[in-house]
Amino acid sequence: MTDDTLLNIDGLTLDFRTNRGRVKALRDISFPVRKGRILGIVGESGSGKSTVLWSILGLLAGNAEVMAGRIDFEGRDLLKLTPEALRAIRGEQISVVFQDPMTSQIPVLPYARQMSDILYRRTMSDNEKRKAAVEMLRRVGIPDSDSRVDAYPHEFSGGMRQRAGIAMSMLTGPNLLLADEPTTALDVTMEAQMIGLMRGLREDFETTIVVVSHNLGLIAEMCDDVVVMYAGEVVETGEVHDIFHNARHPYTRALLECDPARIADVSRKLPVIPGDIPDLTRPLPGCIFATRCQRVMPECSSLAPPLVPRGTGVARCHLLDGPLADPAWPPPPEVPTVARDAGEPVPPQVRRTAEPLLDVSDLNVRFRTMGPVRARIRGVSDPFVDAVLDVSLDVKPGETVALVGESGSGKTTLGRTILNLQQAAGGVVRFEGKDILGMKESRFKPLRRDMAMMFQDPVGSLSPRKSVRALITEPLVIHGAEGRNLDTEAERLADMVRLPRGFLARYPHELSGGQARRVGVARALALNPRLIVADEPTAGLDVSVQGEILNLMADLQAEHGLSYLIITHNLPVVRHIADRIAIMYLGRIVEEGPAAEVFAAPAHPYTRALVDGVPQPDPDRRRPPAAAIEGEVPSLLRRPTGCDFVSRCPLAREECRMAKPAHRNIAPDHRHACLFPLRKTPELTETA
Amino acid sequence: MLNYLLKRLGLAALVVMAVLLLLFSMLHMIPGNPAILALGTRATPEAIAAYSERMHLDEPVLTQFIFFLGNAVQGDLGNDVFSNRPVTAVIGERIGFTLALICTGMGWAVLLGVPLGCLAAVRPGTWIDRITGVFSVGMIAVPSFLVSIWALLLFSLHLRWLPAIGAGEPGDLSDQLSHLILPAFAIGLGWVGYLARMVRASMLEVMGEPYIRSARAFGLKPRRIVLGYALRVAILPTITLIGMGFGGLISSAVFAEIIFSRPGVGKMIFDAVSDRNFPIVQGGVLVATGFYILVVLFSDLLIAWLDPRVRASL
Repeated sequence: MTDDTLLNIDGLTLDFRTNRGRVKALRDISFPVRKGRILGIVGESGSGKSTVLWSILGLLAGNAEVMAGRIDFEGRDLLKLTPEALRAIRGEQISVVFQDPMTSQIPVLPYARQMSDILYRRTMSDNEKRKAAVEMLRRVGIPDSDSRVDAYPHEFSGGMRQRAGIAMSMLTGPNLLLADEPTTALDVTMEAQMIGLMRGLREDFETTIVVVSHNLGLIAEMCDDVVVMYAGEVVETGEVHDIFHNARHPYTRALLECDPARIADVSRKLPVIPGDIPDLTRPLPGCIFATRCQRVMPECSSLAPPLVPRGTGVARCHLLDGPLADPAWPPPPEVPTVARDAGEPVPPQVRRTAEPLLDVSDLNVRFRTMGPVRARIRGVSDPFVDAVLDVSLDVKPGETVALVGESGSGKTTLGRTILNLQQAAGGVVRFEGKDILGMKESRFKPLRRDMAMMFQDPVGSLSPRKSVRALITEPLVIHGAEGRNLDTEAERLADMVRLPRGFLARYPHELSGGQARRVGVARALALNPRLIVADEPTAGLDVSVQGEILNLMADLQAEHGLSYLIITHNLPVVRHIADRIAIMYLGRIVEEGPAAEVFAAPAHPYTRALVDGVPQPDPDRRRPPAAAIEGEVPSLLRRPTGCDFVSRCPLAREECRMAKPAHRNIAPDHRHACLFPLRKTPELTETA
Repeated sequence: MLNYLLKRLGLAALVVMAVLLLLFSMLHMIPGNPAILALGTRATPEAIAAYSERMHLDEPVLTQFIFFLGNAVQGDLGNDVFSNRPVTAVIGERIGFTLALICTGMGWAVLLGVPLGCLAAVRPGTWIDRITGVFSVGMIAVPSFLVSIWALLLFSLHLRWLPAIGAGEPGDLSDQLSHLILPAFAIGLGWVGYLARMVRASMLEVMGEPYIRSARAFGLKPRRIVLGYALRVAILPTITLIGMGFGGLISSAVFAEIIFSRPGVGKMIFDAVSDRNFPIVQGGVLVATGFYILVVLFSDLLIAWLDPRVRASL
């Protein structure tokens, strides 16, 4: 342990006792955390990265058992401390920022109370504690903090809550700050703000930070050192630059290559790491990654790989040292090591001249904010908000259109309205030329065969009491599959989505995230639809799996000529699969155009903020701290006058506050709603 | 807030009306002429007719109901058929006994059940959790009138620790309290089990919430986390249960008052139903309904006071 080490984890081995047997969740975890630096632990779900975090705090689940190892912090082994001694350290010397600020702050106590509770060990008067809380809230960027300190968590927006969460963790001036997926629950523009805030706090308070994340962009942007974990083991450590530019472990390499934000060439095929995380109740004696490794050798599954040091870290692989070493490994960064999914890149199928399959024009959806009686009493003449405002959009046969926006942009409401699950206030929605808006359910039902929905939460949208066989044939049963053999149909659909037939007998809780998603795709496909509306098709999936689902969707499109309307907030993914992108803000489409063009040269400042908001998985391309646009998406109740984006736009001028900019075309298929677009307009043609 | 209160009170008035209408029609559907009952079987037809007219018994049921409502609004619930005293006075001298019984019964159930549930939730799987679990089910399963009879037999007849019947000498507080113990024990026992189970279940749920883990991660004391954080949230559904529980306790009190011969409203209603003493039945039910509605309203307001999210939605 050298002088600059604040925390040292050595040989940490931990089991979870479950009814399937002992899950060997962590095996021989060792790495130091250097003083004053930001260390990132990166890994996919099941890698044990959060378990390491909770081991440091001594807050493991009741069925966890530490088998071996030590965690040294300021000369003491945290694993040997009494609960009392450990509690004295928690919140004072080691503090935490949590993943989801919506659930990690108690809803019934105001911030003033929650924060002074954290200071209970200090000999300060109540007034001094309150002052300290106000001061810290002000530091993390909460306006009017001396009055907002009395607010309850539900009175804050998502971004403000996470700021308050950071303020709570920094209140005692801890030496070590642990952050567990600190931006996963936030929108892109909020994420950029949080990264800037935490980096700033590190400078001011000289706090050492350990951040756990699956987001490579966040790790590259924030961290100095990186630990890569896979299936309960540390496979590689090193300084951020070494990890991202000179990764030595095949898993690190594969993980980086799978990140859609890093893939420069736009083709519909994304790389994937085949296979699943191994069963940790009986881990293999050799390398844990052997079952999925693209460079696997026969010895890998029996011989433990050597720990190979290098300047700033270690890697655990046979390719690097010993009799099996390959001097040509690792290949230069531009050489791919992960095979792209089998099959040729899919040629675009869009018939641009064809009649649109789905044609939405001037669609409006309004939500009532108060009852008619109360509105009259309060003198509110228009007790509605516009959730979807004058939206026009079309989807051609065989085309993929992505609807992108932050939470509250109305993208999901729009999707629901198209599927006749939500009433519209005005406009026209045509499907194959037929006006379907406000159609009675009895008349609309036959159309549901042609328009399917893929739901956001793959497990939550499947009935837990039905088998996969029953689930994927359910649409057939609902729409009367006379004379069809349901078993044959189930097998046909399982084959289509490449789900092994053995899975048909399983229940949703026995599926992994990717498998549950395949079931969702199979359900959507059951009736041979022409259009699939997919709500966040890759949310919650690991990087290595998300490629599988997107490749599957692309293949199905090529085979069956499907059209997709993809609703998402994930821009890097959209770039690979969408032909066209429509950006929504406060219920209005602010820019729409061909995917590549929108990315390369956005016209609307909001589009640019979204594109720039995605942290790049490359430490050399870090943004300056001030790059993030300020503020949050305003409430629909407080829609700005003039341009909707005016309250956050860095380029806003006086004219922007006057009237809503109309949609203008830059190119025949590229339009935007900005008075002062970032791209010069060749000819100003107003569209209706 | 004021809006909400007015709305709730308006709803309460509607509920009272509906209950009374139901009761009114039921009383008139069961056989037995109240005039004959009041005057005796040997009363002359003229006397019966005169009585019926005075009590509006010859009017249609709906008219009778409207008369009753109109009077009730003015605080006149009619007169006892037998003693001819105002119903309000009869209820007034008995309601104290019932209120004391119900509140003591629920009071000790809360004081024992809530901590038991907490303890069981904080140490799940230990002996205290198991014992609480077994006893809760046992206490819920035994009807309160059986508990009353057993308690009466054991503590009054066999052990002679506590008095068996009546409510104690007026003015003698300790005597009255000693008469209160057994019936309150009997009607509260099941609620100890209910509350312990309810609090345990919601505490277990809350203790698994991320914000409890946050409090632990900030190093707060375990006692503060359980009482100041977890219980603060877990108690909210329990308050609703307690509020509704008062309704159940009113009917438990009927049995307890009959068995222990306590001169409360429950026994009064029971006697009045057997005697076809309509005004007393109506008045008694009106008071019971009103009491129940007020308790439920109070529990909802208490929740709003404790939970800022509910407060914001009022």
